[in-house]
Amino acid sequence: MIQGLQQRKDSISMNEIITTYEPDNSLKKGYISVFRQIIFELKQNRWLTYQLFKRDFLSTYKQSFFGILWAIILPLFTIAIFIGLNRSGILNIGDIGAPYSIYALLGMAFWQFFSTGLVACSNSLVNAGPMILKINFSKKSLVIAAAGKAIVPFFIQIMMVGVLFVGYGRTPSILGLLALVFIIPLILFTIGLGFFTSLLNGVMRDIGNIISILLTFLMLFTPVLYAKPRIGMLATLTKYNPLYYLVSTPRDLVLKGLIPEWKGFLIVCFVSILLFIGCLFVFHLTETRVAERI
Amino acid sequence: MNKETVISVENVSKKYCKSLKKSMYYGAMDIGRNMLGMSSKSSRLRKDEFWALNDISFEVKRGETLGIIGPNGSGKTTLLKLFNGIFWPDKGKITIRGMVGALIEVGAGFHPLLTGKENVYINAAILGMGKKEVDEKFDEIIEFADIGGLIDTPVKFYSSGQFVRLGFAVAVHCVPAIMLIDEILSVGDIDFQRRCFNKLGELRKNGMTTVLVSHSIMHILGFCDRVLYIDKGKTMYYGATDKAIKTYQEDMASRTCMPSVNLEVNKMSSSRAVTIMKIEFLDNNEIPINRVNAGEALTLRVHYFAAHHIGAIELDVAIASYGGDIFFRASSKAYGNELFIHKGEGCIDVNFKSLRANNQTVLFYITLWKSDRSELFDWKRELPFYVVGDARSGGKVLLDIDWRNRQ
Repeated sequence: MIQGLQQRKDSISMNEIITTYEPDNSLKKGYISVFRQIIFELKQNRWLTYQLFKRDFLSTYKQSFFGILWAIILPLFTIAIFIGLNRSGILNIGDIGAPYSIYALLGMAFWQFFSTGLVACSNSLVNAGPMILKINFSKKSLVIAAAGKAIVPFFIQIMMVGVLFVGYGRTPSILGLLALVFIIPLILFTIGLGFFTSLLNGVMRDIGNIISILLTFLMLFTPVLYAKPRIGMLATLTKYNPLYYLVSTPRDLVLKGLIPEWKGFLIVCFVSILLFIGCLFVFHLTETRVAERI
Repeated sequence: MNKETVISVENVSKKYCKSLKKSMYYGAMDIGRNMLGMSSKSSRLRKDEFWALNDISFEVKRGETLGIIGPNGSGKTTLLKLFNGIFWPDKGKITIRGMVGALIEVGAGFHPLLTGKENVYINAAILGMGKKEVDEKFDEIIEFADIGGLIDTPVKFYSSGQFVRLGFAVAVHCVPAIMLIDEILSVGDIDFQRRCFNKLGELRKNGMTTVLVSHSIMHILGFCDRVLYIDKGKTMYYGATDKAIKTYQEDMASRTCMPSVNLEVNKMSSSRAVTIMKIEFLDNNEIPINRVNAGEALTLRVHYFAAHHIGAIELDVAIASYGGDIFFRASSKAYGNELFIHKGEGCIDVNFKSLRANNQTVLFYITLWKSDRSELFDWKRELPFYVVGDARSGGKVLLDIDWRNRQ
């Protein structure tokens, strides 16, 4: 017992970090110091992030009969609609050089990683509202953990793609394994944007709805379920659509084993990294301000 | 900052906004300015904003317990949230030495669908513990929470007591250098409360600094070295515990208690046979008072108006504590006193030879009946009156006691 008390005493005296709270706290410290602080905070809170992810994950699927299967049911419906549209000749999917269901499901897996992740991130602060007002913990962990919601459905969909490959008697390119590395820009893009939208949503609840609507449109304008159009306005749009590169590059790696538009992809990689760092910074500077408005 | 000073609060102010729409707009503005690296100029008030805390300063030394008291909405919880870094001050500066743990709400962050065990880990992580620390303390936490075999059951099936016990158990095992406690010591059953107090006592003995927000005078008296009394965001008193409580109680009393309660009824339009027009609190010399020292005499004068001759009546008087517990109730008839009401205005005196409530604002309930209780003429409820505490004793009642050695 005495030893126990002694230990506690030590742990109390060890925590001698001095914290100061002032208006515009972060601004006074300079950008380099803020950046170091962000890195330290992220590192320090890895376990917290995992626990928050676990909380999200377990609670989503616990009181549901189909559980994780929903991750596959919803995209299958969307794909079924596209197959229907294609068969009836309303929509021309274009030349994709692979069985359509593989092409579509693979595309959906990457796309849904983005859309599910972004929606979850955007709602993360608002959903945690009461918790944020009662305990001071890293809100960055909250956003990152929310993006984790997209990971499990993603892997299930990838597994489905594997099943389809076997079903069609095809083999994916061995370079397809690299796709796991090539989705890192997609992850950074999603979380980066998520940092920003979660802040906006914290202040104005409209943002959550706007994002849902935008994502539906964005999916139609991004060649996820059809091939890249060669002519017309959609072709021009696609050229400047970062999501096209983020989704199609890993898909091309799996299907064909090559990166047809590596230049565009490289630029988008760069953009994603900048977006991530920029939004993380903004988030860090303003997260406490947002907590007041939640 | 002195090495022994753990919390230092210098001229801190915090503003809130009354309007949601404005709050949205201001929030967007502030965030925009902060993003661009500009100051949010938080020291000015904009339209619909007000100071929830205004120019608060104090210091807490290592191992001390500071109590914060004040009426509802005075800014106590906001102050705790500033210590904890949930909000930033809009003016002034707060310096904290060491890790802060907060018990602003127990079980905040518990997810109803997850089991007790899952929630313990998640909650502990949110409160700042590491995996190793939770693994080590897990058994101790479960033992402290005393929830038996329910640890693998979703917490939505817990009773509210079990829920709170588990939340509290996690929080006290964080062992922060500074513990912020907001009005949560009154949770759980007696035995659990006792263990909470002992646990907090043990932590304090090891140098933990505590800030305790409570409406319970007992808790404040029992724990705090110093007390900050705030109202409407301003410091009303800061210093010794007993003085702070006395100031607080007297302020509360003078705010709610009136020497007479004019009921402003129009006697002509009243359809009642008898109407209570006014109630006065008087001392021995018939001078209106709004407070009395515990144990002294008090007269309650009930002014009435009767539309016609009534005859024998019965007057009921009940006294309740502010929480609503009735601790005294009697009627004139039971005391063997006969009362009559004639046509027109008149009054009835109820003379308490010695009011034996202690140290509290009491509420009077007065009911006027026909003597056979076949008709309730009029009643007045919850008339506040302050009984100044007897210096020698605490608690809610004052008893006459002789203390002596038995030879």
